Amino acid sequence: MQKILLVGKPNSGKSLLFNQLTGLRQKVANFPGVTVELKSGVFKAYRHTANPQSGQVLDAKQQFELIDYPGTYSLKSWSKDEAIAIEQLLAAMSDEKTSVILCNLDATRMERSLVFALQVQQISKQHNKTVVFTLNMVDELLRFNHNLDTIKLSEKLGSPVYAVSAKTLIGISDLQKGLSKIAISPQEYRVKPTDINQQSFATAAKILAKEFAIPADVVLKRQNTIDRFLLNSVFGGIAFLLIMFFLFQSIFTWAAPLMDATEDAIGFLAGVVSGLLGEGLVNDFMTDAVFGGLGSFLVFVPQIMILTLIIGLLEDSGYLARAALICHKPLSFFGLSGRSFIPYLSGHACAIPAILAARTIESPRKRFVTMLTVPLMSCSARLPVYALLIAVLVPDVSYLGGWVNLQGAMFFVLYLSGILTALIVSSVLNKMTEGSEELQDMPFILELPSYRLPHWQPLFYRVVNSGIQFVKRAGPIIFVVSLIIWTLGYFPNNGDLQNSYLSAIGQWIEPVFTPLGLDWRYGVAILVSFLARELLVGVLGTMFSMQNADDNIAGLAANLEADGLSLASGVALLGFYVIALQCVATVATLKSELGKSRYAWGAFLAYGVLAYLVSMLLYMVLS
Amino acid sequence: MTVWDIPSKQSASIKSLCTAMHADVAIRLQEMGFEEGQLITCIKRTAFNGPTVIQLGDCIYSLEQSVANHVNVSAL
Repeated sequence: MQKILLVGKPNSGKSLLFNQLTGLRQKVANFPGVTVELKSGVFKAYRHTANPQSGQVLDAKQQFELIDYPGTYSLKSWSKDEAIAIEQLLAAMSDEKTSVILCNLDATRMERSLVFALQVQQISKQHNKTVVFTLNMVDELLRFNHNLDTIKLSEKLGSPVYAVSAKTLIGISDLQKGLSKIAISPQEYRVKPTDINQQSFATAAKILAKEFAIPADVVLKRQNTIDRFLLNSVFGGIAFLLIMFFLFQSIFTWAAPLMDATEDAIGFLAGVVSGLLGEGLVNDFMTDAVFGGLGSFLVFVPQIMILTLIIGLLEDSGYLARAALICHKPLSFFGLSGRSFIPYLSGHACAIPAILAARTIESPRKRFVTMLTVPLMSCSARLPVYALLIAVLVPDVSYLGGWVNLQGAMFFVLYLSGILTALIVSSVLNKMTEGSEELQDMPFILELPSYRLPHWQPLFYRVVNSGIQFVKRAGPIIFVVSLIIWTLGYFPNNGDLQNSYLSAIGQWIEPVFTPLGLDWRYGVAILVSFLARELLVGVLGTMFSMQNADDNIAGLAANLEADGLSLASGVALLGFYVIALQCVATVATLKSELGKSRYAWGAFLAYGVLAYLVSMLLYMVLS
Repeated sequence: MTVWDIPSKQSASIKSLCTAMHADVAIRLQEMGFEEGQLITCIKRTAFNGPTVIQLGDCIYSLEQSVANHVNVSAL
């Protein structure tokens, strides 16, 4: 298949354009460096040809592979990772299968975008390739009644230019039609000679921007006014803390009605299925393993979706880059960069993309420290565990007219504990890597994107996708583990858990968990959850469902409370889950990103031991 | 005088990039438009000597002290 390469500066709206041209749903956000690896999709070009005999117009489709490259400021490398991306791009440009280079520019920041565009055009010309320019985000220009003369700009550049807004779809249809023609017959659209070759790229970009771009002060006026408030020494800090507090409060308060509805629906479904099946082995299995195990875990899907929604809103608005700036100085005390904030925040959804997001940190040393500490952020897999134990241990009371909820505040404390642990570990790692030749230090330089209203469509897909991925990733393994746990707990005495194979195994390992105040059932759940944290809920759900067959199927929190989980043991268990690295996929990602398995398994072991010791200490203090 | 010394809401003209700067950092700054004669405006100084926020052309950048101290400017 012939290829179209999509290139551009960081945060120029490339990923959203890629999604519109391919129909895919790649993650988009309003801060530099969202695309950290190559993404490819299919662009369907339409060829319209008239049959010379009948005069009938025939439509034929031709498929092209559209490849989205990570954004770069230039085609010269600055870091090792950027060098790899640029090398791949240059190699693809010389590939004979490449028919078109689609260079995406930010229409609101044309001068800097044009410098990059002219570099791309020069290299494309050397490889005898066709370049098409898209001036993205023209909806922003239209707000200021600024119209771009794309025909004249196209003449000046010597290549086709399309003004588009991937967000509002302005010009997308024209681009699809135009790109179809060009991709099918690229030789007809090769770069034409212009005056630009006589000037330096910076000079040419300045001249072109002066003629075609909207004056910078017009676009930046509103942004600078907002920044004066959000970056203010006092108000900026307060706004940052309020936004973070709101984030964690909303996970609990907004999700509560949805979680209750899911729980009721699962309970209702379990009752119906149980009634249809009649008593027996199959009924016990469905009730305890399927609805008790898998159902307990499904209840938390709304919380994961709300967390993704709020993180997505922050990313799309452009605030995250400001938050990175605000956090730079405090984070630098712990050997981190302001850029570490973005992987840290993403890590609250899932550690894997957050570790990949850390690639954009220029300093190899800070990148290393960030990647190793991201797993300490309270990811969505910890959320069901926290939510379950908070519901058992903390009363559901609200203050300030319902704005502050005690359970929500406890959530905030747990998330904060993860962050504080990460900062302490970062300091230690920073000291350990001081003077390392392999891990150089580089300074903090960040481009601040414009503030934009989030676009509902990609955000909606992202929120829905987070729920689907959560279920797809953990669902099958929870089902299999629930099945094994149920089988071991059911036999040989037909559901008598205390005299089952599982009990025998559990009591053998119980001494390990006695210092944490936890009995064998929690010990089994903890051990199994080293595969994936969410398993704790599923495994406890299965066991407690078997034990309390007459109770509400999905009411695991009520079952744990009735079983007498003490405050000391519950807090010890929470402490363990704040720190332990119980995720095989995260360990594998760390291994591939850091290139050495000893770092990944070292982190797994070190966090496991630390989690156990902290948990033991918490139990000793509270009991 | 360097970029770090530009007070909030004041502008200056870039004179040169300090030669003591790490070569990779200098290249990146040049790509971002830090070239002789360019006008630079300080938008905001952040608390506790945090990164300074500047406008250069149609872009807003934030630079930490160790970088901003290596971009020589002349007051307008």
